[in-house]
Amino acid sequence: MAGIEAKDVSKRFGDVQALKGVSLAVAPGEFVSLVGPSGCGKTTLMRSIAGLETPDSGTIAIGGGDVGGLRAADRDVAMVFQSYALYPHLTARQNMAVPLVMRRLDAWRRLPLIGDLLPGTRAAKAEIAAEVARTAELLGIEKLLERKPGQLSGGQRQRVALGRAIVRHPRVFLLDEPLSNLDAGLRVQTRKEIVELHRRVGASTVYVTHDQTEAMTMSDRVAVMMAGEILQIGSPRDVYLDPRDLRVAAFVGSPKINAFAAEAGADGLVRVAGTPTGVAVAIQGALTFAARPEDIAPNAHDGIPARVEHVEFLGEAVLLHARVAGATEAVVARMDARRAGTFERGQSIRLRPDPARALLFDAAGKRIVARAVPLGLKEIALG
Amino acid sequence: MYGRRSWFADLPRLAILGICAAVVLLPYAWMLAVSVKPRSEVFSAALSLLPEVWYAAENYGRVFAEVPIGRYLVNGVVVCGLILAFQLAFALPAGYALAKLRFRGRETLFAFVMLGLLVPAHVPAIPLYIAFANAGLLNTYTALAAPFAISVFAIFLFRQFFRALPDDLIAAARIDGMGEASIVLRVALPNAWPAATAFAIFSVVAHWSDLFWPLIVVTKGDLYTPALGVLYFRAEEAGDDYGALMAAATLVTVPLVAAFLLAQRRFIEGITMTGLKG
Amino acid sequence: MVDAARPAVAFRTPRFGEGAAAWLLSLPAVAAYLLLLLIPTLAVAALSFTDFELGLPGARFVGFENYAELLRDRGFAKSVGNTLVFVGLVAPASIAAGLGLALLIEAGARGRTFFRAIFFLPVVSMIVAMATAWQYLLHPTIGPVNAALRALGLGTPNWFGSSDWVLTSLGFISIWENAGFNMVLIMAGLTAIPRELYAAAEIDGAKSAWARFRLVTWPLLGPTMVFVTIITTIRSIRTFDTVATLTQGGPNKASELIVYTIYQEGFTFLRMGYAAAMTVVFLAAVLALMLIQTRLVERRVHYG
Repeated sequence: MAGIEAKDVSKRFGDVQALKGVSLAVAPGEFVSLVGPSGCGKTTLMRSIAGLETPDSGTIAIGGGDVGGLRAADRDVAMVFQSYALYPHLTARQNMAVPLVMRRLDAWRRLPLIGDLLPGTRAAKAEIAAEVARTAELLGIEKLLERKPGQLSGGQRQRVALGRAIVRHPRVFLLDEPLSNLDAGLRVQTRKEIVELHRRVGASTVYVTHDQTEAMTMSDRVAVMMAGEILQIGSPRDVYLDPRDLRVAAFVGSPKINAFAAEAGADGLVRVAGTPTGVAVAIQGALTFAARPEDIAPNAHDGIPARVEHVEFLGEAVLLHARVAGATEAVVARMDARRAGTFERGQSIRLRPDPARALLFDAAGKRIVARAVPLGLKEIALG
Repeated sequence: MYGRRSWFADLPRLAILGICAAVVLLPYAWMLAVSVKPRSEVFSAALSLLPEVWYAAENYGRVFAEVPIGRYLVNGVVVCGLILAFQLAFALPAGYALAKLRFRGRETLFAFVMLGLLVPAHVPAIPLYIAFANAGLLNTYTALAAPFAISVFAIFLFRQFFRALPDDLIAAARIDGMGEASIVLRVALPNAWPAATAFAIFSVVAHWSDLFWPLIVVTKGDLYTPALGVLYFRAEEAGDDYGALMAAATLVTVPLVAAFLLAQRRFIEGITMTGLKG
Repeated sequence: MVDAARPAVAFRTPRFGEGAAAWLLSLPAVAAYLLLLLIPTLAVAALSFTDFELGLPGARFVGFENYAELLRDRGFAKSVGNTLVFVGLVAPASIAAGLGLALLIEAGARGRTFFRAIFFLPVVSMIVAMATAWQYLLHPTIGPVNAALRALGLGTPNWFGSSDWVLTSLGFISIWENAGFNMVLIMAGLTAIPRELYAAAEIDGAKSAWARFRLVTWPLLGPTMVFVTIITTIRSIRTFDTVATLTQGGPNKASELIVYTIYQEGFTFLRMGYAAAMTVVFLAAVLALMLIQTRLVERRVHYG
């Protein structure tokens, strides 16, 4: 097993700075997701680790050794591509054998007919066949081996692509949006299978996705990338509950976190739309007050005034969409379906975020320390 | 394939391509060079491209004086124009019907189109010649253009192209009260431009340069196409005056080559798209 | 596709059904097809069983006499042989040249448009004119090519005048003409190969350019190459312009190619029944070639 360490990696494509000095360390055997909107540089970072892109600056080490000068073929990495990139003219069996054939047989031995006459070719080929068969069994695709990619379904192709990646026990395993071409049901199932496969194979894994649910459910750690930078890297729990940046908070979680324009007075007390929130900070002036949908409760008397726009019944929960006067985005509150009252469109309500769980960000979007303060009677009366 | 190499690393590739390009350009360079050289220099077999004495006016002048080269070029334009107009007029509606309408005999009709694709243009030449001779139509624009009025390839191309047009678009037009003829004119045709341009380039390139059929049906000088004009000038007038001959060759080559250089991408796309039938 | 998706009958043109409209739209094309293609092609077959000669009254049905004569005709045998040699030279060479140029151009970013335009130039040039230019270039005494060879102390062949060289010289012009065309088609095929396959090959350990070519480029170019092979074979089998312009089949029938022979027999000697028999043989050969090539290669490039 080997870890990956990328340091200060930068890459520019023409006018676009795809990576702005990114550093990422993946421990041996760890599963790390790179997640972010499209164009954030996550694929470029992965391709730089693979050796398919050459960074303009920075270093990349695998297993402690610098791989900067090494070609992709020499880095001992395996990759599953978004399109799977299976060779359409080869059967599933041949596709899975390619990485072994390319490494163990030289150009002469790969020649048809002539190659078989050279000493050692047959033994090497038999061994490759055995390893392909073992991998196919592991993935449950023994019956598909004689088919060509064109005769396989999306899920089956994905498995063959996984097989081609793990067949030679690489040091590092790279997956580039491997689930995005599958339908929703299969995606959930395959998610679990990839995690199990990772446990068995044990190689350090980098997983690129734009889908935060995938990243959160599968990884040991999640790296949230935006505009060529890693904004935060941490466990799924940290990234969700303790985001360091407003953009991270906004990207992770569905429905999206509610962000209110807020103001901190001289006393440090934070108000949204003039309403005290029960939170105090150490700075003064404009900031952002954010609360997850499950941390906001509608209330008849106290809190931020808003008007009900829309109610979604999800089964276990109810999503209440309400609008604060003058706001561009609706606030979403998530309630237990059994305890939620009934709301009507246009109804005036008040929203009360839980001060203990609120997240506060300064004008630059950086997280700031906040503490909950009990609301005095005066504030309640004012609100 | 992987990023931009340095000039130095790219040099061998560019050098090989450069040599190949020089070979390809060789006849053009000499055609132009000889067309502005006096006879004495042409015969001295010197390797220099540039003339010592500038003789362009004399060579080109001789072409214009001895053959109606302008007339030949006009003939070429008229014949190509006629052919293209008929090909489009016949093929567009038929291609639409084959692609979007359901009718008895459609599969048979399409099978005949595919069959027609396999037959080289030289095959029906003899009976067509006999027919034109009997009808007294030799040495007419009709004889030059008529055999190419039907292009099975165009039908095939437009059929493929119209198949990609969404069915809903046709359905919407029908709901808006259009008949099939006005759907062809107002919906299919405006959407067929890319295919029509590609086909037009393909057709004009093929017929501007064609020699076989004009050679058969035209014997009178005032109907010569550019290709026939060069052939005639070569055989009857120029003798061993290579200067004048190259001037004539330049004059008939320039129109298409100039058009190509102006709209290079369109030409290459057109020929690639229509490359199906060379 | 489904009936339910179609608009109600009331919205359609009231006077015609869809079928009638379709036939009306196809009518001009069908008429022209019958008149200009189908009937003349069948007529060629019919003519080939007669001794029809233009200007002579009364054609006779002669059965297979024309075909029997073809078998005895040494000139025709020579023409067929020349055509086979010619195609055998031009098709592989111009395909290889097209592939080489396409790969070289695609291997780097510089000069793509420039070189593509230059190599494509012959496709849009009038061959009659360009053949004339080549004739000057390859002129035995005043041509620059022989002048250069002389300067290098090498032999100076009579390119179009000697029966040993004439097919090669004409073949060279055809290769010059076809290479750029093939290059453009192959470039289109190369662009259609997904970039990710090259990345996958790189990761799978295909380190040399040759290994990637064998693993990805060549197999994925398969369908394009079949297509290019068929087109080039047909284009070269019907070479006419250069022969008619430069050699008229000479010297001593050394450059008689099949289409030129048909032209001579039918339109110079006006023995149209006999020329029709040649045409039928020519058509049969073209169809057979297409069939063989599609069958032969289709199996190997079918990706299921």
